[in-house]
Amino acid sequence: MFIEDIRNDFYNVLLGNRVLLLVHYDVDAICACKILQELFRCDNVSYTLVPVGGLSELKSAYEENNEEVKYVVLVNCGGTVDLVDILQPDEHVVFFVLDSHKPTDICNVYSDGQVRLLYKDEEENIPNFDDIFRDDEDQENEEELEARHGLEALVERRRARKAWEERRHTLMFNYTQFSYYGKPSTSVALELAVRASRCTAAALWCASVAAAAHAALHCRSPARCLLDAEPLHRYVAAAQRKTTDDDVHQAARVVVEKDVWLPLYRWWSVEGAISHAAALAPQLRLHTHSGAARLRQLLADMGFPLQQARQAYRSMDVELRRALLPALEAAAPRQRLPAPARAAFLLQRPHAPTLAALDVVYAIMGLIENESTPRAEGFQHALAALAVGGDGESLQRGVAAARRALEAVARAAHGTLAARAVLLAGPFNYFIVQEGSPEAAALRGPLWLAEAARWVGAAHSHAPRPLLASAPGADGDCLLLGLPPRFDQEPRNLFGAAFEQAATKSGASVSLDFVDSSIISLPVSQRAQFLDALTALLA
Amino acid sequence: MFGEKVIELLKEADRNRETIDQFNDEKIRQIIEEMHVLFKMNMDDANATTENKSLWTTVQVRHSALERNKRCLLAYLYNRMDKIKTLRWEFGSVLPPDVRELLSDTEYDWFSKYSTNLAQYMRSLGEDIGYSGIDLTENLRPPKWLYIEVLCLTDYGKLELEDGDVVMLKKNSRHFLPTSECQTLIRQGVLKQIV
Repeated sequence: MFIEDIRNDFYNVLLGNRVLLLVHYDVDAICACKILQELFRCDNVSYTLVPVGGLSELKSAYEENNEEVKYVVLVNCGGTVDLVDILQPDEHVVFFVLDSHKPTDICNVYSDGQVRLLYKDEEENIPNFDDIFRDDEDQENEEELEARHGLEALVERRRARKAWEERRHTLMFNYTQFSYYGKPSTSVALELAVRASRCTAAALWCASVAAAAHAALHCRSPARCLLDAEPLHRYVAAAQRKTTDDDVHQAARVVVEKDVWLPLYRWWSVEGAISHAAALAPQLRLHTHSGAARLRQLLADMGFPLQQARQAYRSMDVELRRALLPALEAAAPRQRLPAPARAAFLLQRPHAPTLAALDVVYAIMGLIENESTPRAEGFQHALAALAVGGDGESLQRGVAAARRALEAVARAAHGTLAARAVLLAGPFNYFIVQEGSPEAAALRGPLWLAEAARWVGAAHSHAPRPLLASAPGADGDCLLLGLPPRFDQEPRNLFGAAFEQAATKSGASVSLDFVDSSIISLPVSQRAQFLDALTALLA
Repeated sequence: MFGEKVIELLKEADRNRETIDQFNDEKIRQIIEEMHVLFKMNMDDANATTENKSLWTTVQVRHSALERNKRCLLAYLYNRMDKIKTLRWEFGSVLPPDVRELLSDTEYDWFSKYSTNLAQYMRSLGEDIGYSGIDLTENLRPPKWLYIEVLCLTDYGKLELEDGDVVMLKKNSRHFLPTSECQTLIRQGVLKQIV
């Protein structure tokens, strides 16, 4: 069931009751959760917050915490599966689902009030109710009709039924074939905050980080990202108009400025940032011998002395810092690099350096998928890293972890490309991160492995093919994720449905536990047979 | 000289204005002995010379010394009494053993009587409305938030709130609960407040 009025039918219903918040481990979910927490704090809504990593964790978290809880809010998890079936809740429990993973499960859409979806996505072509569900009363009527009208009517009815079932099958196949992302959940949460008149700089900042995440992780095509971010631009502009000149230097505010799209460049050196930027580095082909020379040529074109470019950004010459944006814009076309600058969200604070939303995205990724910290602890740090005030200790930790992870990603990608370890299998390519290599520890989680896969995919941009990446996980299992060709333009992924079918065909004990269906985990020993089954399926 | 020991006692007490020190039984005994000696000397002299006015001045001096001692001792005991009152508001009705040693037995008796008095008073508050008393010692300053956000540090299990809701406290789960429910658990270390 879809909710029309998010304030009256969702927020006002929750006031005065206790809520169970189940949040997935990804950047968008954490930002949305932060906005919802602020709203609940203002209105004294008692809640319990549990992070969940997959469907089994969702089930166990629900079972542990469901006593005396009437309202459950799920952020970025549970939209794509039949909730009532999996969780087996009591009849009076109401689920509010805010999930950017699509396609939404049909049973959730047509639930009669127990599962409520917070917004209706216009892009989804949800099949009509009558085309999918049909009463089974016809079964009993058949015998009556046979007696009454004879054999022809019966045959006619059976044919109609078969035609309906075939049509249903086609519709469902088309609907569930591709898995993709809808608009960021945080934009819905921001909308709610605006309607409840509680749109603060903190809420705007969370929404900016989520918008940057969708752009950086290529969850949506660039045009769609811009459209999704349009309400956010409007609210940021409105907030700017409201502050007078006196307030300008006293409070933190979110601004939109043209900025270089290099992750973490303010915390790193220019050379480091360029060589680890997923947008620029694959085109520089740093894994080849000439790659380093090309990087030096780029820096020379920009007019940056090598020694300055290798220094930490904050210790660089002030004029060079100011000249970074125009110089990079001018020098990029010469190396045939994509445009490096775009309108980005920055947080300006009076007594602290400017923060870029893109940096926070990578910092959060570094915190939740850390080699040493378990993800539940990283989740707490990630929530703290989104705070606008405070000393930023969690953010610094996240940035350090993100730098290490980005370095590992770069090393893994370069190693794979240099050793030509990208193997062909039927219609797709795949590469495997070997167990025991130093990067394997950093690439254990789906977010960083996807980053490495995008890197390798971008290096093959002249001949795009679907790409699979695999990395060793915990105790004998490995992670397998699939990336569509041209992921930057068309991020619709068909590997979700393909993995499911290949799993049944090959008989491997695949765990389809992840919320994003294009990520699975399976035992290492069965990987080869699974890949064979997948090749046969997609050929 | 008369009155010196009692000044030493007061100086010792004055050195530590915030918290209470060990009850200086030894010094007080010495001072009271001094007072006995002075009183005895005074009694003898007063009985001996009803007509001889030359000894009256010495009696006068000794009497002033006695009064001085009495006044200072009373000041010392009163100051300790005040500090014991604040102990009740800080620690509650059960004192930790290291604080208990600092009080003399009679002081501890006084403390328990004061405790009982306070508890009786707190119980009587709000009786007509139906409350079974308000704990005044809980928040000496008005709390900033009605509800606080806490992070659970250990697997504690189920916690029942006042209005019947049951909260499952598992490691790394965050909760937003009324402040009064969380206080005891925060003191125990099971929950940690998130700013």
